[in-house]
Amino acid sequence: MRCQTARKRISDELDGALPSGGGVRLEAHLRTCRACRVYREDLERIQAGTGLPEAPAGFWTAFERELEAKLSAEEAGRKRVEVPFAAGRRWAWAAAAALVLAGVSLWLALPRPGPAMTEAWVAADDILDPIVRAVESDPELAGLIDRELQASIEAMSPVGEAEAAGLTAADPLFWESLSDDELRAVVAALEKESGLGGPQ
Amino acid sequence: MDECPEASLVDDARRGGREAFAELVRRHERRVRGIALRMAGNAADADDLAQEVFLTAWKAVGSFRSGSSFYTWLYRIAVNTSLSFLKKKSREANRAPFDENRSAAVPRGDAAPGPESRSTLNELTARIDEAVADLPAHFRASFALVVDQGLSHADAARVLGCSENTVSWRMHKARKLLQARIKPFLEEARP
Repeated sequence: MRCQTARKRISDELDGALPSGGGVRLEAHLRTCRACRVYREDLERIQAGTGLPEAPAGFWTAFERELEAKLSAEEAGRKRVEVPFAAGRRWAWAAAAALVLAGVSLWLALPRPGPAMTEAWVAADDILDPIVRAVESDPELAGLIDRELQASIEAMSPVGEAEAAGLTAADPLFWESLSDDELRAVVAALEKESGLGGPQ
Repeated sequence: MDECPEASLVDDARRGGREAFAELVRRHERRVRGIALRMAGNAADADDLAQEVFLTAWKAVGSFRSGSSFYTWLYRIAVNTSLSFLKKKSREANRAPFDENRSAAVPRGDAAPGPESRSTLNELTARIDEAVADLPAHFRASFALVVDQGLSHADAARVLGCSENTVSWRMHKARKLLQARIKPFLEEARP
C-alpha cells in the first residue's frame, strides 16, 4: 500500500468509514511506515482537540425568544400580503362574478329568430300553395281575381294626369321657374280653353 | 412534547404548528449554530445565520417531503445559508474567490486559565480552529458535518448533495491541510 492510499484510509478510519478489510492492510502498512504512524497520531490529536465552544448561559433562551419574535413578524407580514384575498375582498369578487354571470345568462336568454320561426314561414308557403293551384285550374275564378287585382292596383295608383297638372299648378315654384314667353303662352292657352279671352 | 416523535412534530409544523416547530428548533438549535459557527468563524455572524436558517426552514417547512429526513434537510439549509453568507461577505470585502477566503477562527471566550496541560489543549484547540477557518469553504462544511456533528460520510453527502466519495476525499484533503498547518505546534507538543 502506498503512503497516499494509507493516509486516505487513516482519514476514513477516523470517520468510521473504512471499508471492510481495509483495516488489515492499513495496519500492515503502518507497521512498516513510521511517517504514516506519525501522521495518524497527528490526526488523532487534531480530532481530539477539535470541538466547538459551548454557548454562554442563558444564550438559548434569548435565541429562542428572538426567533419567536421573528416568526411572529414573519406571520404578520404573510397575513398582510394575503389582504387582497381576505374575506371582504372575496365577497366583492364573488358579487362581481355573479353580476357578470347574470349578464351573460340574460344575453343568452334574449328571444331571437330561431329555426322554429323559419319553419313556420315554410309552413305558410305550404298552406298557400294548394289555393294558388286551385285558382289556376279554374279560368273563371282566375279572371275574377285578375280583375280584382287590377282594380286594386288602379285604386293604389297615385293620381291621374289632370290631378297631376292641378298639383303642379298649385306649386308656386313652378310658376316662378317659367319665363315671360312661357307665362304668356300659358295665359293664352287658358283664355282660349275657357273662352274668357277678349276679341282677337 | 419532549417524547414526541420527530416525524409527527414535522407533520404538525407543516400544517402551521408553531409549538411543534419550536420543539424542532429546541432539538436542533445547537447543531445548526455549530455548523454556522464553524462556517462563519465568529459568534455574532453564527447567531444571525442560525436565526436565518430557522426562519428559512419555517417558511419552507410546508414543502418538506415527509419521507425524507428532517435534520438532513435542516442541515442543508444551514450549509447553504452559510455558503451564501460567505460568498456575500467575500464580495463585500472584495477579496479572492470565496473558496480561498479566510475567516476568523472560532472564538473561545470561555477559555479559562488552568493547569498547564489544559492550557496546551486550549492552545491546540485554538490552532486547530484557526487552521479549520482557513480551509476552503466546502472542506469546512464537510469538516463541520463529519467531525463537529458526527455525521457519517453518507449522511454528510446527503446534506451536501454530493457523493460519499467526495465527502471522503474532502475530509482527507482537509486533514492533510490541517496537519501541515499545525505540524510545528504538534512537533513541539509531542510527548
